[in-house]
Order: sequence, then structure tokens, then C-alpha cells
Amino acid sequence: MPRLTTGLLRHARSIDPLLTLLLRPCRDISSAQNELRWLREHAIKLEQNVNTRARVSGWRVLLRRLVAERARGKPLQYVMGSEYFGELEIACRPGVLIPRQETAASITCLADRLSRAKTLPSELRVLDLCTGTGCIPLLFQYQFWKTYQDEVSLHLLGVDVSSIAIQLANYNLRRLLKERQWQLQNRKMHGRSVQDLWGNKKLKSEVAAFQNTAFLLADVLVDPLSMTDHDPMPLKPAMQFTNKPPFWDVLISNPPYISPAAFNHTTARSVRAFEPKIALVPPSELDTPDVEQGDKFYPRLLTIADEVKVQLCLFEVADLNQAIRVARMVRDSSSWDGVEIWRDYPELANEHEEDRLHDGFEVIGQGNGRSVVCWRGRGAEWLSRANDVRSDRRRSSRIGA
Amino acid sequence: MRGAPWICRPCLIRALRPLSRRHARFQSNAAANPESISPALLSRAHALAAEHSQLAQKLANGFDARAAKKLGEISAVANALKEWEKANESLTELRTLIRDPSTDDELRSLASDDVASSAEQLDQAAQALTTSLVPKHPFASLPCLIEIRPGAGGSEAAIFAGDLLRMYQAYCSRIGLRTALLKYENADGLPESDSPLSEAVLEIESEGAYGTFRCEAGVHRVQRVPATETKGRTHTSAASVLVLPSFPSEGSGEMEDFDNPESDYYIDPKEVRTDIMRARGAGGQHVNTTDSAVRLTHLPTNTVVSIQDSRSQPKNREKAWQLLRSRIAQARREKREEEMVAMRRSVVGVAKMGRGDKVRTYNWGQQRVTDHRSGLTVHDLTDVMGGGHTLEKVMESVRTWLIERDIEAVIAGDEINGDK
Repeated sequence: MPRLTTGLLRHARSIDPLLTLLLRPCRDISSAQNELRWLREHAIKLEQNVNTRARVSGWRVLLRRLVAERARGKPLQYVMGSEYFGELEIACRPGVLIPRQETAASITCLADRLSRAKTLPSELRVLDLCTGTGCIPLLFQYQFWKTYQDEVSLHLLGVDVSSIAIQLANYNLRRLLKERQWQLQNRKMHGRSVQDLWGNKKLKSEVAAFQNTAFLLADVLVDPLSMTDHDPMPLKPAMQFTNKPPFWDVLISNPPYISPAAFNHTTARSVRAFEPKIALVPPSELDTPDVEQGDKFYPRLLTIADEVKVQLCLFEVADLNQAIRVARMVRDSSSWDGVEIWRDYPELANEHEEDRLHDGFEVIGQGNGRSVVCWRGRGAEWLSRANDVRSDRRRSSRIGA
Repeated sequence: MRGAPWICRPCLIRALRPLSRRHARFQSNAAANPESISPALLSRAHALAAEHSQLAQKLANGFDARAAKKLGEISAVANALKEWEKANESLTELRTLIRDPSTDDELRSLASDDVASSAEQLDQAAQALTTSLVPKHPFASLPCLIEIRPGAGGSEAAIFAGDLLRMYQAYCSRIGLRTALLKYENADGLPESDSPLSEAVLEIESEGAYGTFRCEAGVHRVQRVPATETKGRTHTSAASVLVLPSFPSEGSGEMEDFDNPESDYYIDPKEVRTDIMRARGAGGQHVNTTDSAVRLTHLPTNTVVSIQDSRSQPKNREKAWQLLRSRIAQARREKREEEMVAMRRSVVGVAKMGRGDKVRTYNWGQQRVTDHRSGLTVHDLTDVMGGGHTLEKVMESVRTWLIERDIEAVIAGDEINGDK
């Protein structure tokens, strides 16, 4: 990391003495100014909040403490205790992975596509493995109800191996549910117009979906047959134990996907120092190649997808190379009708037309390769890919070959 | 013994002069004969009618929204042409009947009775056809602003300008148009109504007012003995009248219809490039960036909006879109205002403030109002100045004249296109 120049530090100091501290993690003046502004707003909010007021002795003191924490490299999201995931504010705590904007972009895109689908089952079940803060199921249903207009009952289940994560996910769920219920009550008391009625309907379905959302402590990676007394329980027994339905429609997962070598070399310092390694790197095994260790979750995820009979899958990956490796796994398993790779911002048009094909896989959007999407049966319709079923068939025949 | 009474020579000459020439005016460009339709216009009508029947056939086979719209646009022309052809045919039939020596006298007298009425019918049909062919003025459906300023002639011109303003106000109140006096300044710069006028702006808020008052723009000349004149001499002075379409003030409502392509706020999403400040390197789980800046670039105008206020990227994006929309709308409005200014300049430029380039003369001595464009002369000056039916008649004649000019322009345009 290049040194911060004295000129830059002096310039920062002339704007605000606290900026010099924030320059350490931010490295440039404009993002440091943004973070300082957010921290200041946060400190003022804490001072005014009834619950936290007692612990705060003036926002200036608090701000200095927060900036000092941030200067040590602690992620801003942990310092402030929340991160925006899409349009939702999700609580974050140390020990649980901070939701990433790229994940939000692909989940938004997926939910938008599904909400525009013409034929959905009357009960749509969405399973999210390695859920962390619970951000994926929460954003999915929020985004889904934004555009979807018909009656459908949405069931969501988030699974994680960490009990802190499950606690936090449940906290996030309760918080959002309470917020929606409060809004609904407020509207019932004041709203009269047609627009309000439409808003009410949307809020009601959101509340219903939140009530149909659950989080489950289970280990995704463990094979249920190999070990019997494992803590936490493997996914399948855990689902049976808590009376969850055995079959699901959509599987989403943002599993740990960084290989040990990449963790040491490519991750940001604050990620390495402050975020849980268990959420970033798959559990290591001796004498397996590094790349294979990074990909460790995906074969298991595909097996689970077959077991719970999902029609549509979205897996987040690290980059285009890993995306192609995962897409090959999908192709080799030959139980899928089609597969494509989404970049960071799949709703944007490709920057270059020649970018669209990599190793025979369609790549859409802009940015790094970010997720692998595969489907079978009615999943193609849900993805609004019904119009090119023929090309899917061609592709599936290629997969078969 | 009485001889023939003596008659002075001028009286003799006057008696011998043909009666019809006595009041003829040579300086006005009188209206063209409305009965005849120029061949260019007729051929255009025929072409449109052919297209009409083609479209009707196409629509009989299957519905097509664009064809249906086009059909609705030109069906008026086709119907008018049909009417005209029918009237034309019946008139020629009657004429041949009269000319034919073999028809008996009773039939001939009946036919000659009918000729007058069918000639009138043809006349009407021709009028309808021309109006249906002429493109409607793009601003005709808008409200308008009338600006009145005294021209050459000193305080007498200012008094006459005040007279004109009262004339238009009376006219509007008679036919039921809503008006509002936006600005009234007398010669001393005071907003008092009885002293001479230096500038007045009258807004006519009713829809379509621009179409009604478009014909009034120009220099109005007055010939009378002014109130300020002590020796009883007739003066000629002028006042200029500007007529501008008044555009509805868009942007006054908070909620604009973004999806309506007519709206100033409409932006085609394809014309906007979105730049998101992406994490350097791998992204995803590798970094926990807090960069949420969004930059939008509107490609046709190269307008750039960058927002990084909120920690939430979607919120920033929404804000950026809002800002971009209002900036583009602002630019569009400014451009339109510039066009209006250019139009105003051109009006002022054409209608110079002198007495020479007048469009209408109000002559108090002869109690006469003459419009120099349509060539119409009426003699009920009091009724005109009171905004009565006579003024309506004069304005109507000018509108007809304007339509003819428009037709000429259309034909000229067609000829140019045909040459190409």
C-alpha cells in the first residue's frame, strides 16, 4: 500500500482533523469525507435516540471514538452496526459477514425477473444456504413484492452454520417485520386513497412473507449419512426436525468461496482482520489443491439442489474463472436445462458484444463474474427465458453430450 | 327661353364613370376565388384519398394501431374530397342540362334555379376541403398572450393602443373567453387605466385562443382627429400588437409523468450510461467497500450527475435519476424559451413599428375599418371598437387569408419535394 503523502494529510487536516484518521482506511479524500459525514450523522442519531442516549456523552465525543475505531481498520459497517443491502438497512455485527453490494445487485435482478414471471406456483419456496445476516431472503421478498401483483404465498428459509449469524438474522427479520406492521397500522389509521390501498396490499403481503420467513441452524457441508452426531445438525435432518417442507423451488447461496491462498493475497486488510474467516474460506483440508478448496461448497450445493428438487439456482462466485468452473460442474451433472453467468450488475447491458460468450457459457451484465444461474423445468419460465426454450434445449443437448 | 340646365364638367364625368369602379381598392391583396381549388392542392387531396382507401383495406384484414391512427388523420380529407367531387359533379350536370338545346323549358328553369344552390354547395365543399388539407398550426390549441404597444404617433398612438386593448377585452368578454391583464403601464409608468398606454399584456387563458388571435399580430394604423389636436387635422398613427402562444407552465406540479414521452421529464433509459464506482480488484467477499457513488451520464446532452450522499446505492441511484430528470427538463424548458424569444424577435422584426407595414386601418373620418391582408372593408367602426360582430367578421376574413397562405406554403413545399 503506498504511503499517504504529507500534502494529502495536510489537506485533509485543513478540512477536518478527524479526516486524517479516516484517510488511513479510506486512502482518498472524497471517500474519507463521505465516511466522516455518515459517522457524524450516526453519532448525532445515537445521541438523540431514547434507548442509547444514556450511554452517550455528547455526539462529538462519540464521533471521535467511532473515528478512532474506524481508523484501526474496523469496517464502517461494523462501526455503525448496519449496512444497506439494496434498499433495506440490515444490521451487522462482528462475527457475521457484511452483506455485499454485488450480492444485492444479483438478488435484486433475480427477484425482479421472478416477479415478472407469468406462471408461478401458488406457493413459492425459496431456500438460502449460508445466509449470514439473513440479507438475501429479506431483500428477495422485499424486491419481489415491489413489482409482483398477484396472489402468491412466499416461503423463505435461511440456513447458516453459525449461531451468531442465525441470531442476527432473526433480529433483522423481527426488526423489519415490526417496521412493516407499524407502517401498516399507521396507514390503516390515516390512509384512505386508492394508492394507499395498493400500498396496504403490498405491505400485507410483505408482512405475510416475513411471517413465512425462518432461519435454521444447520451445517450445509456435512453429508447426513457420513456422520450421525454432528453439531450443528446436517441440513436434511435439521429440516425434518423443524418440520420444514422437503421440496423447494429456488435455491440461492452465497457460500464461502475464497481459497486459502486467495484469502492471504487478494482480500482487503479489513476483511482479513475483522470479518469471520468461516464465512469467507471453506473449511480447509490437507492435500487438496488450493483452487479445489475454494470451490468446495459448490458440488455439495448442487447435490442439495437435486435432493430438494429446486428448479432454479443462483450461486455467488468470486470471479469469472470460478464461475466457469461452477458452470462446468452444472453442465457435467446433466440434470440442468441451462446455465448462465451473471456479472456484478446483470441488469446493465454488456459493455462489449464479444464479451457474451466465455467457454460456451453466456455471460451477461457488467463487472466481474459474480454468480452462476442454472435452471430446469419451469425455472426457465420463471427466469422469463421461455422465449428461447429452443436454444436452451440445444444447450441442454450439448450438456448431455 | 330656357336652354338645358348647366351641369358642371366634373359632375358629368362622375356620372359617366362606371358605378362599380367607384370604391374599388387596388392596394389590398384581395382573397383568391374560393370556388376554385388549385390543381396542386387537388392532386394532394387525391393522393391522400388513395392512401386512405389503401389503409382501409389493410385494416379490414387485420388491426394495426399505427395504420388506424393514420387513417383517422386523413379520413377528414377523404370525406371532404368525396363531398367536393359530388358537388362538382352535380354542378356540371346541371350546367350541361342548361346548355343542352334539347331540354324543355320547364326543366331548364328548374335547373337554373338549382345552379345557384349547388354552386354554393360546391363553394362550401371546397372550403371544407382546403381547411382539412391545411396543417393545423402547432400552437393553435394553446392559450395566448397579446402585447400591445404604441408605435409611431406619440401620445395619440398611446391613446389608440388603449382603445385596442379595450376592444380586445370587450371582444373576449362577448364571446366568453377568460382574460387576465398581466401588465398595464401608462405613459408615465404608472398602472392607471385612463391615461395613454405605454405597454399592456393581456393573457387569454382559454384553450385555442392562439388560433383565434393569431391573425391580430401586426401594426394597426389609425386615422383620425386626435383628442390632443387643437386645429382639427387628421393624424395617422400606429400601435403594434404581438400575439404569442402561452405555454402551460410545466414543472409546477411535483409529480410528473416520467413515462410520458411528451413530458419534459421523460428520459429514455437507453440514452443514459450508468457508472457505479466499483471496488478495485476482485470485489465480492474479498472487499467490504463503502463506496456507494452512482454516476449517470445522459449521452445526447452529455449531462453528468454524480451522487454519493447515502450509504445505499439504490437510494443514490434514485436521487441521481431525479436530479438528471430535472436538469434535462430545465435544459429543455430553456431551449423552448429561447425558441419563443426568437419567435418574438422575428415577429417584431417583420412587423416594423412604422405606419407603412400596417395590417389594418381604422379610419374614424370614414367610419371604416380595412384589413390590408384580406382586403375586407367594413363600415361599422363603433361596433368594431366595441368588439362586436363586425370585428369577428374582419378576423374571420384574415383567418381565411392566413389559411390560404398556409396552403400556398404547403403547395410550395410539395413542389420542392416533388422537384427532389
